Amino acid sequence: MTLSQAKAVFIWGTVSSAVILLALTYNSLSQIPQRTHEDRLDAQVASGKWVWQKHNCNDCHTILGIGGYYAPDLTKVMSYRDAGWMKRFLKDPEKVWPADRKMPNLHLTDQEITELTAFLGWVNGIDTNNWPPKPVAAAAATASEKPGEAVFKAQGCSACHTINGVGGKVGPDLTKVGGRRTKEWIEEQLKNPKSHNPDSIMPSYAKLPEKDREALVDYLSGLK
Amino acid sequence: MKYESQKIAYNYFVVATLLFGLQVIFGLITGAKYVWDFDPLLNILPFNTARAIHINLLVVWLLFGFMGGTYYIVPEEAKTEIYSPKLAQLQLWLFAAIGVTAIIGYIAGWSWGMPFLEQPTVLKIGIVVVALIFLFNVFMTMIKTKEWTVIQGVLLGGLVMLALLFLFGIFFMKNLTTQYYYWWWVIHLWVEGAWELITGSIMAFILLKLTGVDRELVEKWLYIEVGLVLFTGMAGTGHHYYWIGTPKYWLWVGAVFSALEPLPILFMVIDTLRDVKERKVEIENKLVLYWAVGGVVMHFFGAGVWGFAHTLPQINQWTHGTQITASHGHFAFFGAYVMLNLTMIYFALPQIKGVKVFNQGLGFKAFWTMNFFMIIMVLGLAVAGVIQTYFQRVLGMDYLTTQGFMRLWFAVFWVSAWGFAAGALMYIIDFFTMGRIQKSPAG
Repeated sequence: MTLSQAKAVFIWGTVSSAVILLALTYNSLSQIPQRTHEDRLDAQVASGKWVWQKHNCNDCHTILGIGGYYAPDLTKVMSYRDAGWMKRFLKDPEKVWPADRKMPNLHLTDQEITELTAFLGWVNGIDTNNWPPKPVAAAAATASEKPGEAVFKAQGCSACHTINGVGGKVGPDLTKVGGRRTKEWIEEQLKNPKSHNPDSIMPSYAKLPEKDREALVDYLSGLK
Repeated sequence: MKYESQKIAYNYFVVATLLFGLQVIFGLITGAKYVWDFDPLLNILPFNTARAIHINLLVVWLLFGFMGGTYYIVPEEAKTEIYSPKLAQLQLWLFAAIGVTAIIGYIAGWSWGMPFLEQPTVLKIGIVVVALIFLFNVFMTMIKTKEWTVIQGVLLGGLVMLALLFLFGIFFMKNLTTQYYYWWWVIHLWVEGAWELITGSIMAFILLKLTGVDRELVEKWLYIEVGLVLFTGMAGTGHHYYWIGTPKYWLWVGAVFSALEPLPILFMVIDTLRDVKERKVEIENKLVLYWAVGGVVMHFFGAGVWGFAHTLPQINQWTHGTQITASHGHFAFFGAYVMLNLTMIYFALPQIKGVKVFNQGLGFKAFWTMNFFMIIMVLGLAVAGVIQTYFQRVLGMDYLTTQGFMRLWFAVFWVSAWGFAAGALMYIIDFFTMGRIQKSPAG
């Protein structure tokens, strides 16, 4: 191969790939508004994105799978946490999730918390070609999941309580809680944890929708 | 060294070396947070700040190395002195000042918040100014040449590409998908485009000088290598567009082009080994030879093989966003760019210092120590990544519980990082003492 032939490889290789990238970029940009539901991207979401950036959240958490690997990916977080939980958590992370690996309290204002939660809610709607994929084992397990079990997961109860060996050690093990406590006791504990123990550090779940609380009580009292 | 102004490179190498040391220190702090969940620095230097500093320092010291390398190479290629040594000094101080401000800013909570591009906008504008000064100085030197060599052409092309792409990382976009779309134009097209061009031309220059093979042969291969790098790398950006809200066809485009990405690196390995085998002069500086050959081999495994291992969408859907990426990141940046910079420094430093013969013992120890421990580090992270992929992604275990199962491998990673740090320290000592302690050739 001569030098000029090598030069031709360089020029044509570069130009052809650049043309592919630019043409597909043009097409991608026309599809992104629909794939990301840009109509729902309001001023609050945009402000939330800036809160997300300003506090450098992305260097601990991945989002769309990109960023730091120190904390959970947040792409679909709003599929398994409700907005109320997220707001309580952002206000005081340690209180809601007393895990050993801690998130610092960012001292966000209520407005910032609302904006950030709106941003995460919008990200949740992005069409990510089904990423992250449904876990093979969990897909089988959720088929038989009780409604209360879903509430248990969504509210992050396992941060403190263990069931069947999985979960935190801050609160009591709940594997057989249905054998120890009545339905009424559990319901009271959820609404007002201090009623049974004035020193309890468990947050109150009085604001949980009635339907969810009932499901949760049914689920827990069934654990025998 | 034939031109006085090549000495400008020295100060760039000094800053690069110091920042490398600092990068390793911040790496050890960041890594410790994976080994122990309890973090005494939670409110002073949390993980995100430590990580941002660790990676920013990496990028900045490599850029200082590239700049120093450029100032060393261009006079010899263009056969003229640097256009303005004063501008080169100004550029160095300005860039260093911006770097220091950025780091202090991060600790104080001043961030723009996109990974690796955390520099607040005003500092980014400063970086653009630094790039403009640099390009102006290099270009004004090159146009004095009577004969445009391929090496300086590719080098200039790489530097211009590097500066232009940075512009895509400055603007705030409301849509996270669009923001990340262009973010990859900086991150991916730097390391799998512009930086490869700079690396290719620096390697070509060193091989030419070291082995005495024909310039035409070296430049022919340079054209082919960078041609293939850009052919596979530009459309290969698609492997970052699988899951970020971009259309489905990227799964195909990204897979096909990025599967070819190891090819130009393989060519680089073959080319280097052939040049060394067919050398026309005896290679006196064996240490440079080791860094150069070791560098292309580690480049191939770290960027090529480790990258290929998780680049196909069928695999990437499970591994994306896990420690597999961190393992690849460490391996690729060390193999491709850290080793290239150290090759350049070990090539240029004795000539700048006017040292004909120097004791290479410490340099060799640094070479083997860094390489050995980096391999253990990336294997440790790879095992952690496989555990994470299997437990969390395949079985559906929750994030934090999975982290507990990975702890042993984080410890392996972190302990070997101390070994790596020892190797880096040997290099730093060697850098500053070279020429001060004159030894006989046998010593």
